[in-house]
Amino acid sequence: MNTQQNQVPQNAEKLKEIPKWTRKYAQNRTLTILVLIVVTTLYGMFVAVLVGFPLALAVAGFWKGNMILGCVGIAVLVALLVAIFICQFILIRKFGGKNRGLIDQKIDQWIYGREGMTSMPLPKTTKKMKWLDLVVGAVFLVCMLGSMNLSMVGFIASKYLQPLSVLYVVPFLVFQYFLQRPRIGPLVLIAPILYTIHAILIVAGLPIFFTGGLFMLSILLPFFGYTFLAYVIGHLYSRYALKKLRGITHLEGEAANGD
Amino acid sequence: MEIDKIIHEPARLRITMILAGLERADFNFLLTTLSLTRGNLSRHMEKLEFAGYLRVKKSFKGKVPNTSYQLTQEGSKALAQYWENLDAVRRSGQP
Repeated sequence: MNTQQNQVPQNAEKLKEIPKWTRKYAQNRTLTILVLIVVTTLYGMFVAVLVGFPLALAVAGFWKGNMILGCVGIAVLVALLVAIFICQFILIRKFGGKNRGLIDQKIDQWIYGREGMTSMPLPKTTKKMKWLDLVVGAVFLVCMLGSMNLSMVGFIASKYLQPLSVLYVVPFLVFQYFLQRPRIGPLVLIAPILYTIHAILIVAGLPIFFTGGLFMLSILLPFFGYTFLAYVIGHLYSRYALKKLRGITHLEGEAANGD
Repeated sequence: MEIDKIIHEPARLRITMILAGLERADFNFLLTTLSLTRGNLSRHMEKLEFAGYLRVKKSFKGKVPNTSYQLTQEGSKALAQYWENLDAVRRSGQP
């Protein structure tokens, strides 16, 4: 035992890599974020459909002079808005404030529970950063909706809608990465890189954009598609990092059970 | 120049190095990554905790108890010192 303790570890340089691989593994457990994005998007779509249906009913009712249908539509709409508000209130109470990050933990446990829990330090968020995040989010939304409107009225050709959007999509995605550091790794930057390459290819003449009624997909499809891809690549990289980590940390026989 | 014997033990060296890369990790993660037995890992964790190198947090995940560990500032310093001393030993060609 003493002889062993006095020995310099044979693989000292490899052992020094343990924190690096551990960090890479933890930063790239990205399926959690991906599931969170999908759940949030589906929830948003569900709410939009839920509100859209009675709204359409009310508009159609009033438009055709059917006051009963219009009033029923409005009543259903108000009831649904109240229900959504209550639902939102319960969700914020359960997963907001002191419980911030609880939903991430639950999803993480569901996906990576068998491997155990790891956590990276939370990003340092000052009040200024929170405000900046809100402002950047608002600017991003305004730019996206604005450019789509300009394209709809013919000021921006369908072909150049996505290349032009690089100006606000890429800074937004890069900003999100800096905001989430060190919780997520730089692999998520694959998304803005691919988005830029997509734009270059369009400008070069490749017909990888939508026209007509589907023109919005020129932005939305690459935006969500490349983000999805970046997170999947992140997850696959976490498998590689875990394999590397286990390879370095594996102990055999006496060393594993020694004291 | 003395090598810290608490850290120098192969399993504990790996445990502290894993925790150096993270904010926190739970018992299960260390168990599956290091392929140690539960009892053996517990013993190593106790030694590190007793030395003041680890901070232990016991909580519940639903109804299942969960123990997670964080390297203390003292632990980080000891680990950095350990590598400094070990590198010096390696440089001087001592066994």
